[in-house]
Amino acid sequence: MLKCFRIITQVTYLYLFALLGNVLVKWLHLPVSGSIIGLFIVLALLHFKVLKLSAVELGAGFLMSEMLLFFIPSAVAIIQYKNEILQHGSQFLIVILLSTITVMIVTGLVAQISIRRLANKKGEIGK
Amino acid sequence: MIAFICILLTIIVYYLSKLLYKKVRFALLSPLLVAPCILSTMLVGFQIDYSDYDGGGRWLSNLLQPAVVGFAVPLYKFRKVMKKYAKIIAISMTAGVTIAIISSGLFSHIVHLQDSYLLSLLPRSITTPIAMAVSVDIGGMPTMTAIFVIVTGITGLILGPMVIRYLHIKEKLAKGLLLGMGAHGAGTSKALEFGSEEGAAASLAMVLAAIFTLVFAPLLTPLILL
Repeated sequence: MLKCFRIITQVTYLYLFALLGNVLVKWLHLPVSGSIIGLFIVLALLHFKVLKLSAVELGAGFLMSEMLLFFIPSAVAIIQYKNEILQHGSQFLIVILLSTITVMIVTGLVAQISIRRLANKKGEIGK
Repeated sequence: MIAFICILLTIIVYYLSKLLYKKVRFALLSPLLVAPCILSTMLVGFQIDYSDYDGGGRWLSNLLQPAVVGFAVPLYKFRKVMKKYAKIIAISMTAGVTIAIISSGLFSHIVHLQDSYLLSLLPRSITTPIAMAVSVDIGGMPTMTAIFVIVTGITGLILGPMVIRYLHIKEKLAKGLLLGMGAHGAGTSKALEFGSEEGAAASLAMVLAAIFTLVFAPLLTPLILL
């Protein structure tokens, strides 16, 4: 019960930071979204020890573990685009499938190869 | 009232599909694919308008905002690792973002999609609000982009673990970057299933992908339209 209450409080904190981000984006005409500004604000507050990790950790963990739930309404929105899907659905799917696989392969391999190269370099220096 | 019922229904269907997924562990039965299928069938069956459903659904979608803010926690916890590998992260993300934009354009050309759809597909691998903003910027249709973003999320969620397996990606950092770059928040939630370090890498990838795309997309668009 206490844990449940703490989660709700912490989620509210995180929400307030997102709202603050939204306000800043509007005022300063920033090109990014409010939640990303909110993320950087929380990161800065954690870094400068203004905010304790324990003050947001539980809420953040809850939101991240249930994140798929928050995507579901936008996935249901697809039914509004029946005509486009009937007409071009298979083309969309081919592009998204192939492009997503390509992106993941390239990103994964570039990262993996550079990490190993770095490890080898360090290993050589060690010898 | 109907909004409240829709929220409740979404949560129930989500938990049931999550239970199903935990039992069978079959990638194609991801809650992000099963739950929307069940819910849209119900909407059509009970003749509920999407706009009525979204009156409740919006409350759940809105929680994505504090969830993104919450990514500050894993980023903060693993800041030392992130700093150590800053260069590698920058290189991998530059490669990922460039390939995401170019390959979306290239494959759209190959399947003969008209330019308005092509442009809406270019920013599809980043988080929705920024993808929609980029879409407007380069002349796409933001609502179509939002749909492409969610389909990318589902695709990446299902295919990401397979890519990791077949390419023998062993490094936690590489796994996280690939998932966050390939499938934004949905990929990040998958990365968190692998572990908290992978989750932190994916959160960072998601944020960087969004920022890099904001800069790269308008630069690369004229090349793609050639």
